[in-house]
Amino acid sequence: MQNTLSQPKAGESYLLWLVKIVSGVLIFAVLIIHFLVNHLLAPNGLLSHAEVVEYYRNYPIVPVMEGFFLLFVIAHSLIGTRSIILDLRPSAGLLKVLDILFIALGLFATGYGIWLLFAVINFGL
Amino acid sequence: METPKKPNSRGIFDWFDPRGRNVGGWGFIINRLSAIGLTVYLYLHLYMLGKLAQGPEAFDAFIETAKTPLIMFGEMLVIIAGLYHGFNGLRIALNSFGIAVPAQRQLLYGVVGITLIGTVVFGVRMLTAH
Repeated sequence: MQNTLSQPKAGESYLLWLVKIVSGVLIFAVLIIHFLVNHLLAPNGLLSHAEVVEYYRNYPIVPVMEGFFLLFVIAHSLIGTRSIILDLRPSAGLLKVLDILFIALGLFATGYGIWLLFAVINFGL
Repeated sequence: METPKKPNSRGIFDWFDPRGRNVGGWGFIINRLSAIGLTVYLYLHLYMLGKLAQGPEAFDAFIETAKTPLIMFGEMLVIIAGLYHGFNGLRIALNSFGIAVPAQRQLLYGVVGITLIGTVVFGVRMLTAH
């Protein structure tokens, strides 16, 4: 079998590579719980609005866990997308623009997701 | 991400070139394709979850839509991609830190096996729950 070890590629720092690997492992742990709750244990296959709100309020660890999940998954997806784009050998200027776009998208998605978590917890209060 | 065997001469078109590709190479390609699919799904998912803030009518109507065959098929693809990418990612992480490197091929077969079993379990559950 060919050497398929993951390692930083040209244009990717060791820190970014490490964040990608570590966030991937952390996502995996939370994703198993997410899959089980939302697709395997939910009584009707998917949770209703009332069930989501009740679930978040009764188990405060859940929104905290979902918040971290959001952070890890956004970081992993954006660093992974950047890694794929590096395979296309973009120019340094284009990569700089993409980096700015990825950071902006990451910040926006994280802010939106955290706002949404609080909106669900406080719904109807 | 794993390193392809061949030098990358044609960008993503090399991903679909079957010539000289071995099991690990295909594992790499499927990992990439599942990554792209899951990334697109992630941002769609975040957008659709915004309906939670709009109230029960909006969210529950969306959940009813999610139970239609086409969306359920899409969900199954997400589950397949999630299982494969997750378990293959664990394999890559282990190998990257020098763990179980000689067993890469066997681990990849294990990843495919777990993905198939998980797909059947989730598929049966989804079809019987709706």
